[in-house]
Amino acid sequence: MTLDVYEEMQDTTLSCYIDGLFGYAMILTRNPTEAADLVQETYVRALKAKKSLRPSSNVKSWLFTILRNIWLNQLRHKRSAPQIVELEAHESMADVAIATSKDPHAQYVSKVEQKRVRNAIQQLTAESREIIVLREYEGLSYQEIAAMLDCPAGTVMSRLARARAKLRMLLSVDEQSSQQSESDKAKRRFQ
Amino acid sequence: MNSCSDSVNVLRYLDNALTGKELEIFGAHLQNCPTCRVRVEEERALSSVLHRSRPLYQAPEEVRSQVSEILKQHSAAGSAVGIYERPLTLLQPSLRNRWLRLPIRDVCVATVLAVGFCLILAPTVVRRVHAASYVETAVGVHRSYLEGSLAPEIQSDSPTLVSVWFAGKVPFDFRLPAARDNNPLYRLAGARLVSYRGQNAALVIYETQSKKISLLVASTKSATIAGGDEVRSGNLLFHYFSRDKFQVITWSNHGLAYALVSSVLVSGRESCLVCHQNLADRDAYRRRP
Repeated sequence: MTLDVYEEMQDTTLSCYIDGLFGYAMILTRNPTEAADLVQETYVRALKAKKSLRPSSNVKSWLFTILRNIWLNQLRHKRSAPQIVELEAHESMADVAIATSKDPHAQYVSKVEQKRVRNAIQQLTAESREIIVLREYEGLSYQEIAAMLDCPAGTVMSRLARARAKLRMLLSVDEQSSQQSESDKAKRRFQ
Repeated sequence: MNSCSDSVNVLRYLDNALTGKELEIFGAHLQNCPTCRVRVEEERALSSVLHRSRPLYQAPEEVRSQVSEILKQHSAAGSAVGIYERPLTLLQPSLRNRWLRLPIRDVCVATVLAVGFCLILAPTVVRRVHAASYVETAVGVHRSYLEGSLAPEIQSDSPTLVSVWFAGKVPFDFRLPAARDNNPLYRLAGARLVSYRGQNAALVIYETQSKKISLLVASTKSATIAGGDEVRSGNLLFHYFSRDKFQVITWSNHGLAYALVSSVLVSGRESCLVCHQNLADRDAYRRRP
């Protein structure tokens, strides 16, 4: 997982992590405006601090750690005031994403599935959302996540197992309800 | 390990993180435990769903362009890594592959020759590379200023105010001379700090009626002045460069390295005449037959 830090710190390479950072920021804040600010602030701080990075460091987890620290600081400043949730707004932005070379049907299926997964993840607790994104979407190792969250790797594994179990349940409920709704629609058509 | 309730081991198994004895025991358990086999399949299916839904979010175009601007500003402000070492980094993989194909003896001979050449040429080459990087930095900073991504931190036409603003901010004593001409062709517009090779440098902005001129000032401890078309004027040696649509003039004086960038459409040497045509030293800049 440790890459050539020098190569990774090239500005063009740094920008490769922008989607991952934005996704992580969305998971933490659930607010696209705050997520955008967090990502920008992360890059500003990272560029200022890049000289302090050790050659053995993993740039990706370092960037994610910076983002997380900024977010924690912001939370402290807000003194746990209620968070504004703009999930409606982010859907339109995030949905622009996906599919490049897929056919229209595959694109549609992929988009529907992505939305379903995103909705299920957003129903998890903050702790579970975070661990799912870092492990399943960003591919950070248990040790890297443990260092980020300041907890033992074993704790990361058991949190991940719990988060996955909950997510599986949410996705299966969602699938059942969408199947039910499809079947209701079909029944109505034949009546 | 044999416990059916241990979800962590299922995950470790799917991650190929179980090895040796652990893997052996878990594998044996799986063969005899339909519950765990189902669980493994469920976890595998979930991983597949999550994998298909990547990326979970994609940064909006607005965020991309803002981050790209931040990175551009950082590069323009003199990131030593970007300017000096990027070409070397790009060369590294291809060099590494070629070395691997050569016999050891050839490699040794080539190394000895290369070291010899380096000992002879290194000081000159390093000096040229450093000087070129200062010119490139000055052009990059000027371009960023023109594009609006490097705004002046102080806006003033008073040399005194700008000099006071720089006091304590740059690691050298820097004072702008007072205006000598009552109707100058250019006027001071402002200034800001930029970073060059890890140290603060001064960027001073001047304006003519239609053009903008920037002057980058750094300590000669970090900036080297050399190369280009050289012209001596009094005690100063000026170096002229053309970079894209920009004219660059560099010189050093009293431990400071100066790089003046403008888009005046004449040769480098003649670009000085634009501002100095009414001054006593104007002849120094005229084209010689």
